[in-house]
Formats: sequence, structure tokens, C-alpha cells
Amino acid sequence: MPTTHAGDPLVFKGGCPQDCPDTCAMVYTVDNGKLVSVRGAPEHPITRGGLCVKLKDFAQHHYNPDRILYPQRRVGPKGSGQYERISWEEAMTTIATRWKDIIATHGSQAILNCCYLGNQGVLNGLTSGDAFFNRLGATVSEKTFCASGSSTGYLMTVGPTGGVDPESFVHSRYIIIWGLNTLSTNLHQWPIYLEAKARGAKIVVIDPQRSRTAKAADWHVRPKVGTDAALALGMMNVLITEGLVDQDYIDRYTHGYDELKERVLRDYSVGRVAEITGLPVADIQTLAREFASAQPAVIRMGVALERNRNGGQSIRAVAMLPALVGAWRHVGGGLLEMPLWEFPLKYDDMCRPDFIRPGTRVANLTRLGHCIDTFVDPPIKSLFVNNSNPVSQAGESSKLEGHLRREDLFLVVSELFVTDTAKYADILLPATMQAEQMEVMLAWGHYYLTFNEKAIEPPGECVPNSELFRRLARAMGFDDDYWKRTDEEMLESFIDWTSPKLAGWSMQRLRDVGYVSLAEGGTDTRKPHAEGNFPTPTGKCELRTTQADKGNFVVPVWRSMYNEMQSAEPVDPLPYWQPMYECAETNPALAARFPLNIISPKPHAFLNSQYANETIQQQRQGPQTVTLHPQDAKHRGIEAGEMVRVFNDRGSFRGSAVVSDDTLPGLIVAPLGYWHEFNHGSAVNAISSSEHSNLGHAPSFSDNLVEVERMA
Amino acid sequence: MTHVVIENCRDCRFTDCVASCPVSCFHVDELRAYIDPQTCIDCGACIPACPVHAIVEEFDLSDEQRHWLDVNAEAARRYPAIRGKLPALPTAAAKRASLGY
Repeated sequence: MPTTHAGDPLVFKGGCPQDCPDTCAMVYTVDNGKLVSVRGAPEHPITRGGLCVKLKDFAQHHYNPDRILYPQRRVGPKGSGQYERISWEEAMTTIATRWKDIIATHGSQAILNCCYLGNQGVLNGLTSGDAFFNRLGATVSEKTFCASGSSTGYLMTVGPTGGVDPESFVHSRYIIIWGLNTLSTNLHQWPIYLEAKARGAKIVVIDPQRSRTAKAADWHVRPKVGTDAALALGMMNVLITEGLVDQDYIDRYTHGYDELKERVLRDYSVGRVAEITGLPVADIQTLAREFASAQPAVIRMGVALERNRNGGQSIRAVAMLPALVGAWRHVGGGLLEMPLWEFPLKYDDMCRPDFIRPGTRVANLTRLGHCIDTFVDPPIKSLFVNNSNPVSQAGESSKLEGHLRREDLFLVVSELFVTDTAKYADILLPATMQAEQMEVMLAWGHYYLTFNEKAIEPPGECVPNSELFRRLARAMGFDDDYWKRTDEEMLESFIDWTSPKLAGWSMQRLRDVGYVSLAEGGTDTRKPHAEGNFPTPTGKCELRTTQADKGNFVVPVWRSMYNEMQSAEPVDPLPYWQPMYECAETNPALAARFPLNIISPKPHAFLNSQYANETIQQQRQGPQTVTLHPQDAKHRGIEAGEMVRVFNDRGSFRGSAVVSDDTLPGLIVAPLGYWHEFNHGSAVNAISSSEHSNLGHAPSFSDNLVEVERMA
Repeated sequence: MTHVVIENCRDCRFTDCVASCPVSCFHVDELRAYIDPQTCIDCGACIPACPVHAIVEEFDLSDEQRHWLDVNAEAARRYPAIRGKLPALPTAAAKRASLGY
């Protein structure tokens, strides 16, 4: 509840809504009903009083004049942005009428929901529409934009453990940040690394590009893109051949060591791994030796690891390293991927997979254009988009846009702004921003569950997703109790208050305090796997996974808790590396035409595409850049600052050339997130394929070949 | 982009900014603090922390204030980075009062 003093502005507790590991606790200040500032909560152990460059003007963002404030109906051609205001009632009636008609003609699976983590709340986030669309009988959407490949690989190896508490990293003596640009995308972890460093830790960054974080590290290791699995297997080779493994830990707490050892010694000699990764043999040896000897050693895994053909098996290989050297024995030793696994949320109650009719098909959203292209029985006739911007975030965006222009594809978008996706909508619905709604925030970079109090009234007729789906349920005639609850009642039932992690906590107490840590054991004593206790079928760290028999799968939380119709491609129970889909070795004909690989890291001042419509954020981020290595630039006659076109058979986008050895030869770097309308009509995912990595259907956004040419 | 410490800091050196900075980009001499533009990541957490409004984002600088960009960059190379808050200078209270904060 707000803290009030007569005449003073009101202060409310907030939780950052963004898809970011840091999930900051915030302080909303409201004066005369207006949100005047949003700051980081000073006492919060992770937030420590500061937000980030993205959220810097979050109060003003609520008042951006471009907000969608009312339901609207398209009156011009698709994509023209011509709309007229309608009532909520008319919007709901229009949608229900069209959907009932589509269901009568094509069946309910002709409807698909595209939702992701535009909001990361328990109520209004990833799963906000799952119960509704499951009840509707829609095609189940597989939401694997980020961390699904990691999820499958991680769960096959160490199980759903939260791993090392990020606050325990102060005790680490060797920190490997692998495939993650902390200073841009996990900022609040950095002061903890600095504290560890002050206590003697070495900070190592593994990343092909010289990111901000790599520049600040003690050692930057730069393998070629897509070779992380090989590097991890090469490190294993050094550990095994030099007797640096913790054999006692391996014997007691791992499964399948002998088979792993055989493969590593047979296929991943340091010499071969040096060739694959482009790293000197000595660097691979040093990395392995230091990781083994400088305990406690810890690895912070980034999502970048999953974004190529080897993705899931890269996660597996890296996730094994701490067990091989016994790092888990120590406070601050082991691995951090996502503490989300330990959050006591009742996903079945949230998503209602019991509503799903047997045999319902699944559409993977990272290849949305491809799915719409290929689904025929029935075809996709209506798409409902909320919390997401697939034209910006899905592969083959040009193909997707082609479909969104179709008159016969009924598109409904609930949004804050008219995004690159929303501009094609037949019906636009106005969504609330975070200070305008009550919410509880889950987190995937730390252990805090955070309450977000509604601080101001929504503008116009904006509603939270929870209310949106109540209205849609009513319009569709769903009489289930699910949609008869208030936000408070839903939150109360979605969180497992009986969990030991929440002992002594209630909704009211969470609301009063603002946040609660779910990490069991103190930051200074916590050693979750000092004696194994991995939540896997064997209870051990599974070097050879016992979960390969069922084949490839997406963890149900990413697909409305539906566990049927998994793709079940064969899975190698041991980690491996192979050349990427798009490289000279695998596809020489393609590489002859498009000789450069590309990665599209997260932007510094945008959150994916969010905030990229704010002029001030555009200034902070700067225009779209395309970084080329000097030898690649020279070969093409490209000078720094020139406009270049990046293209392949899937599409193209433009950017300003940066010529720098911040990238490796053969690899270009172009940040994600730019809105097409501010970026010459396109952005980086125009060139991205619809392929998936080898586990968990992670998109292969770092596994694409392109060519670059100077604009005429 | 970066943030810069302007004139207001001189003789105050409260250094509340330092405690708020996630990347330790502050450097100090005996009179004031400076921001290393190579290290600053533009989060702006320091701006509300400063009791004398001495920190400004680059594009909010007036023409008369723009020389502080070079001053900060050069001083950051010359003086040591600090990680924790220091006691304010003895002259801080008077300077703050003179600035009207």
C-alpha cells in the first residue's frame, strides 16, 4: 500500500515488467494522480537504487502521446496505420463474430495466439492468454524466442535447479561470463562481479565480439560464433588429460562420465578444438586449468549460447563443467542459468492445459511466418498478438509481413504502441503499462518475487491482459470460473503460498514488503549441489542424459503446459559440436553467395524492440550499425560511416558501417530491436532463418549467412 | 553517450553518485568527481543521487557546459577510480547552500 504523508506525493512499490534477468524493484512516485518518477528501490539487494538506460524515462514513457488508448478498427489498407475508434463492446463483438465464423468454417485450430514476455508478470505475462486460447481450442503456440533451447539442455543435464544464487557470486574466485553482455543486459549483476573482483576474482568473458562487458573483463576469450560446445568439450579434454577433474565429485554426483570421457578424448583433442574455435591451444589450456584450480569457480551462462545449430548441446556441455571440477562444493561455485525454475508458481492453474483438446497441433512462434506458410489443415486464419512483436522478433520477418498484409488473415493486436506488427492489425486493443496495473513479477536472473502495485489509473480505455481475457471470455460465452476472479484472486491462486520457500509469507505481506527472496540458505552459505542433489531422474548431474529416449522437447512452460505433440527429433545423449547450418563447411554454395555470418545482439538502450520508438532512447542507442572486421570492410570497399545493405535470399536491412576488430573476420554484428519505420523499412530479423537449434527449438539467430554491400 | 559531472560538484564531492554507480565509473581528485565516459553505461542512477544536481546526461548539457565532456574524460584518465562513498568535503555544506540545494 502507498506510504502517505499529508500533502506529499504518494509512493508505491513497483516491479520492472521487462524481459530482463534483473527484474528491478522500483519506486513509483505519484503526484496528483500523475506518475512523476520511477526509480530503483534503494534497499533491494540487486536493484540497489538504480534502474538502467532503458528504464531511465519510464515515468514519461507512460505518457508517450503515441500510446494506444482506445480500441480501434482498421479503415485503410493493411499496414496503412489508418484506424477509427470503436467501443470495447464493438471490438469484442467483432472479434467474437469473426472467430465463431472461422471456427465454424475451419475449426478452432485456425486461430493462433502470439504472446511472449513483453510483460514478465505472473498475471499479464508469458502465460496470460494460455487458459483462454486453450479453452478456445486454438493451435497451441510454442514460445521459444529465448531460453527454451537453454531450458531443454539445462534440464537434461542438471534438472530444474536455480543453481548458484547470483548474490553468492561475491564468494567466487573465477567467474566465466559465457555468451552474455552483462553491462547491457544484466547490469545489476555487475556490481556483484566487481565486489568479487575486489576480493580477488578473475572475470573472464567468452564472446566472439568485443562487447562492453568483454572490454571490462580481465580476460576476453573470443571463439568463432557457434563453437561454444566445442570449446567446452576442449576444456574437458584438458581437464581429463591433465588430471584436473574432481574424481570424487564425479564418482558420487555425476552420471555417464566414462562415456563422456571416451567421446571427449576421441573427438575433441585440444588441437582440433583450437581449429574449430579459432583459439590458440594455450588459451584453451589456460581456461581449463584456471577454471579447475581457482575455486570457487562459477559460470554465468547467457542465452547467446543457444542461438545456433549447436545451441542446446552447447548449454549441456557448458553446464557439465562445474561438476567435472567439483565447483559445486563451494559457496559461489557452480553455474547460473535461470533461478526461475525454483519459483513456486502453479503453472497448470495459470495455463489450464486440461482445456486443450487431444491432438491439438503446435505452432512455433520463432518461425511464425513459416508456420502460417505451411499450415494447411486448417490454415491459420486469425492471429491474436499480445506482449510481443513478431515482425521484429521472429525469423524470416519479411515472409511474416507478407502474411500479415493478407486480407483474409484476421489480426488482433493488444499493444501499448502501433508497432511493426500492430500496424497490420484489423483490431487494435489498448494495453496498460506497468504502473497502471497490479502484478507480481517473476525473475529469471535472481531469486526475488516482486510485487507491483497499481500506482495510477490507466489512460483512456487501456486494460491489463487479465481484464482483456476476461472480456474475450465473456464475448466467446465461456462460463468458467477462471475468468470470474479479480486480479488479487488470480494472483492468490497462481502462487503456491504453501511452498517452503514462502514460509511465513502471504500476499498481504508480499504487498507490504515489496519482494521476497526464494533462495533457500543464506547468500554466504548456500551450496545447493555440494552433495549432488540435482533434480534429475538420477539425482546426479547427467553428463549422459537419461532423458534422450523421448527425443527433443520444449519444456511445457514455453507451450501452455502442453506436453503432447512434441517434435521428438532424435537426441544424442552426449554433448557434441558440428558445423553451423549456415557456414562454408555445411553449405558451400550458400557461403559462396553470402560469405559472412551475422549475430544480432540485444541493444544497449532498447529492450528488444521496446523503447525503440522513444526519440530519447534512439539518441542513446544511436542508429542501426553494422560492424565489419577491417579486412571484410576493405574487401568490399566499405568505409566507416557509410550506409550498407545487409542481405540474403530471405531479406535485407540497412545500417551504418562500423569498421572495427571488435568483431572477428567473417562475422558482422548488427544490434536487434530497431523499428522498421525508423530504420529504412526493415531490421535484422529480415535475414534470419526459421531454423531451430538442436534442442528445445531455440531460434538460430546467430547461424545465418549474409552479404554486405555499400549503398549506391 | 555519457554522463558528466559539472561545476556544482567542486568543493562538495558528496560522492553519493559513487555508491549508486553499477560500473564504478567515478574518479576523484581533491576537489571533485569525474565520470569516465568509456566506462559509463548511461543508466543515470547517479543523477538523482547527487544532492547538488552536478550530474548531467550528455545531450542535456548547455553549450556553456559542453566543455565538461573533455574535462571529465581527461580527469578520468589522470585520477583513480573509486568504488565507495567518501566523506563530503568540509566545504560541502557551504557550497550546497550557495547552490540553493
